[in-house]
Amino acid sequence: MSKIMIVEDDPKINQLLQGQLEKYGYHTVNVIHFDQVMDVFSQAQPDLVLLDVNLPKFDGFYWCRQIRQVSNCPILFISARESKMDQVMALENGADDYITKPFDYDVVLAKIRSQLRRAYGIYAAQETERTLEVAGLRLFLERMELTMEGEKTELSKKEALLLEALFNQYPRVVSRERLLEKLWDEQFVDENTLNVYITRVRGKLKELGLDGAIETVRGSGYRLKVTWEEKA
Amino acid sequence: MKLFLRDQWSFLLMFFIQLFILVLTFALDGYWNPSLIRYAVFLCLFCGGCFLVIRYLTNRLVYQRLSNPVKSLEELTLSHGHSPLGRAMDHTFQHHYRLFKDQLHAYETKQRDHTTFIQQWVHQMKTPISVIHLLLQDEDDARLESVREEVDRLKRGLETVLYSARLDRFEQDFLIEPVSLRKLAQSAVSENKRLFIRNQVYPELAVGEGWVVESDEKWLSFVLNQLLTNAVRYSDKKGSKVTIRSYARGKHAVLEVEDSGIGIPPEDVQRVFQPYFTGENGRRYAESTGMGLYLVKEICQRLHHDVELDSTVGAGTKVRIVFYSVVPTLQERKPDES
Repeated sequence: MSKIMIVEDDPKINQLLQGQLEKYGYHTVNVIHFDQVMDVFSQAQPDLVLLDVNLPKFDGFYWCRQIRQVSNCPILFISARESKMDQVMALENGADDYITKPFDYDVVLAKIRSQLRRAYGIYAAQETERTLEVAGLRLFLERMELTMEGEKTELSKKEALLLEALFNQYPRVVSRERLLEKLWDEQFVDENTLNVYITRVRGKLKELGLDGAIETVRGSGYRLKVTWEEKA
Repeated sequence: MKLFLRDQWSFLLMFFIQLFILVLTFALDGYWNPSLIRYAVFLCLFCGGCFLVIRYLTNRLVYQRLSNPVKSLEELTLSHGHSPLGRAMDHTFQHHYRLFKDQLHAYETKQRDHTTFIQQWVHQMKTPISVIHLLLQDEDDARLESVREEVDRLKRGLETVLYSARLDRFEQDFLIEPVSLRKLAQSAVSENKRLFIRNQVYPELAVGEGWVVESDEKWLSFVLNQLLTNAVRYSDKKGSKVTIRSYARGKHAVLEVEDSGIGIPPEDVQRVFQPYFTGENGRRYAESTGMGLYLVKEICQRLHHDVELDSTVGAGTKVRIVFYSVVPTLQERKPDES
């Protein structure tokens, strides 16, 4: 499992990020004393560093230069400062990418994965593959596959995103707005398109012999429902 | 010269009265020799003339300064000649100059401190917003949707504050580079996707690949975000569209944001770019600060882009940004391509 070091002085953000990363199977290391960033780094030897710019004592740019002297591991800045100059500064000090606060987990995770893939190759990508499971139904997010007792079906990117949202919220309802937001990356998605995707995903579930696994909740959204018996 | 004469007119009057008294004294005394009188008058006039000429020459700079108002503060420090009057003027003016400079400097420092404070404050506010934002991401509850909406609103507000504070130091914070209009529009749309979804307004992107302009990406994307926010906010009808398109106008590229919303009353159109102007729509929609379009205009001016606005009440609004610096790829395309 990849090890990620978080250098962020706000305890809550630190904790939330840590929780989210661990949920997706990463090991996390965090820094408590901000004058000992390098000690923590050399001890933990992380695969990737998330670095805040505004830190007590020295700023993130300083630590980035320090890390660069001993390691080539990917460094991602996370900062509230979003001016062009700050981003240029970050890249010139050896960072690989820059994320501005407030950020989405999706963005952070996607950037972490892409940096890890770039730095350590396909092997690492497979190692960090995220899988979600509900009662024997498994969703492989990287391969975009859905499996159930050895049966397998392939998904499109949008279908996988849709299922990811439903899996994550299980057994709660996911609102239509939320699903639209998830599906909407480069091309916008309207209500009708969402209906089409829901139908398609239902079709895929049927291929695995699962009927009625996506339940429509009137006036609010959809939810994943276990209508099958889980066999251990 | 005119000022000099006006200044010396009492002297001239006195001079001629004295001359008259001189001639009169001679005449009354019965000593009437015209040639001698003429000679005396000539001598007096000559001496008086010399006096005036010398006086004018030595104080020429003083009179020039007094009759031509200064155009810049720096002109105050120029020399006024070596006459006592000139030196006194130098002294006074330099004193004033220093006084002005000191006060100006004090205000500049204050202003700068204030801007720095605002920027730091905005960044500090971003941390709690980030925390709320993160906490909300894993939850999906109908009530939280409205919290999310408010967080978005806070983010937007902070952004506006940050950009308006930064505007004063624009020169130190911009980077002109080729910007792809398509990419810019795409990221602006996806940044505002929640706003679109919530208002059930849908974007339509008609910006082709290859539309590249010279601009600052960060500032331009703030401008576009502002325009999109306005377009969605004033769309009013569910299911209506906001169109972002690009086209050529002569050698220039135009980026247009069109909504089919409530429009702006004609008497307000002229004034929407003024700061704090909210107009008719501002009174109906409590969220308007009147700063959005003002910032758009200011930023575009600094980036050397033009902003145009057309609006019909009930039919919608079109805002166009005209780019004068067009990179070669665009000039090769035909106007009908998009």
